[in-house]
Amino acid sequence: MKPTLSIIFFTVISGAGLGLLSLLALVDVCPDDILPKPAFTTGIALALALILAGLASSVLHLAKPSNAWRAFSRFRTSWLSREAVFAAALIGVAFLYGGSVADGVRDAVRVPIAVVTSMLCCTVLFCTAMIYASLKPIRQWHTHWTPANYLLLGHWSGALVLLALALAYEARPMPFVWLALAIGLAAFAAKLTYWRAVGDATNALTLERAIGVREGVRPPGMSVAQARLFDAGHSHGTFLTNEFGFTLARTHATALRVCALLFAFGIPAVTLVMGWRNAGIAGAVAALCIMGLFAERWLFFAEARHTVRLYHGDART
Amino acid sequence: MKLGLVIDLDTCVGCHACATACKEWNASSPVSGPLSDYEPFGAEPSGVWFNRVRHYEVGEYPASKTINFPMSCMHCADADCVTVCPTGASYKREDGIVLVDQDKCMGCNLCAWACPYGARELDESSGTMKKCTLCVDRINDELLPPEERQPACVLACPTHARFFGDFDDPNSEVSRLSASRGGFGLLPELGYKPVNRYLPPREPKPLVSLDDARALLERGLASLADPVIRR
Repeated sequence: MKPTLSIIFFTVISGAGLGLLSLLALVDVCPDDILPKPAFTTGIALALALILAGLASSVLHLAKPSNAWRAFSRFRTSWLSREAVFAAALIGVAFLYGGSVADGVRDAVRVPIAVVTSMLCCTVLFCTAMIYASLKPIRQWHTHWTPANYLLLGHWSGALVLLALALAYEARPMPFVWLALAIGLAAFAAKLTYWRAVGDATNALTLERAIGVREGVRPPGMSVAQARLFDAGHSHGTFLTNEFGFTLARTHATALRVCALLFAFGIPAVTLVMGWRNAGIAGAVAALCIMGLFAERWLFFAEARHTVRLYHGDART
Repeated sequence: MKLGLVIDLDTCVGCHACATACKEWNASSPVSGPLSDYEPFGAEPSGVWFNRVRHYEVGEYPASKTINFPMSCMHCADADCVTVCPTGASYKREDGIVLVDQDKCMGCNLCAWACPYGARELDESSGTMKKCTLCVDRINDELLPPEERQPACVLACPTHARFFGDFDDPNSEVSRLSASRGGFGLLPELGYKPVNRYLPPREPKPLVSLDDARALLERGLASLADPVIRR
């Protein structure tokens, strides 16, 4: 699949914002006051800015944005429509939640809003992931590890931003360090398992399968035969080759995976364990993690091989 | 109704007449035309097509066979391209035809991602998704003579390798052809229940041996000579 920058930016940046907001709301629900109030208001504002920037970017990949408002209309069937509806609902609830924090609304009212906010953040992350996970022609996306990755990676980058925020407002850092470490470990495991799962090609489709060699499309008298593309029928690129033809060299994929792991997990893990409790460093580490996630998301697209590639000559998906 | 095509891989010669006839008819179609071309006379011509013909070599030479493989929308019974569409632009008609409402599409490409057959192509000029309409503006046009109420690709095929009809009717030409020739849908494991059927190449009839030919000839001559001799 062609890696589209607007979508990569959207999923990574919105993901961090959603993770941050979700965790902020959860921290608010906890009975202990481990984060000062100004940190909450700043955090909610930052999370909203990230989410809105991502959503704005997502509109850029539409070929006809003037019809984007119609995307709210197919909630019952389309994951993209569900994402749009839940994202709109979240923006409304998040503003309400931010207002209730800023106004110091009593717990009995504010806590339920916080719970709904956190749940909506997870729902939006899940819907985004399901847009990809629901696509049967793309083996590398059609796995339950896709939603697990989106949920955990969003919360992981959010947890690092939250730690930087806590340090900036001189809160006790250890609860946030443990929170980040726990989520980071789960996210790391989910990413490795995802790569393992997509590396297993036992369920891959083949060119022979695609053109029906088993059903009889083969030379007379043969029961099995290998197929290869003889001519694609077009002299230059088409929409299909442009959209689905992107191929990543195996060596580049390995280098990028190492890069993604180093920035998204390696460096943050080292700084968390080393105990450098400094807001500036924590902020830089969160930024590095988000950069690593850009590489990770770029790979998510670049390594996905659509079934239509078989008809253009790929031996398997 | 379950309208669709039968494509005979035995007789298809890969001439691309179906693809160009499709392009010609649908370029001016009110349903989803025009089909934009990019740099049609330039160094790298490209554009929107509803029907593309690819060519494969199956088996190893000399025991190999060239397969000409036209592909267009399969008008799936369980079409995910319709399910994933967030705007409601993609829809399936009562007669089984899958269409895109050009006024509603926002060009998000998700339906093209959901289609394993590459049936959908984004038109960069209009910013909307386009696809085979099964010539819905021909097959229902009562101003056309009945024999011409068929998709342009079917009418254009010089080897009569394409057939159009209703697969819900067991007595239709397409149903009977598919049943008698082992017609199959592509990639049924994805669960989209594609309607279009492909007929695999037939086993060639065995050649007549020299002895058989001599025997046939003698029997033929005898049957000609017998009445003369008897008279």
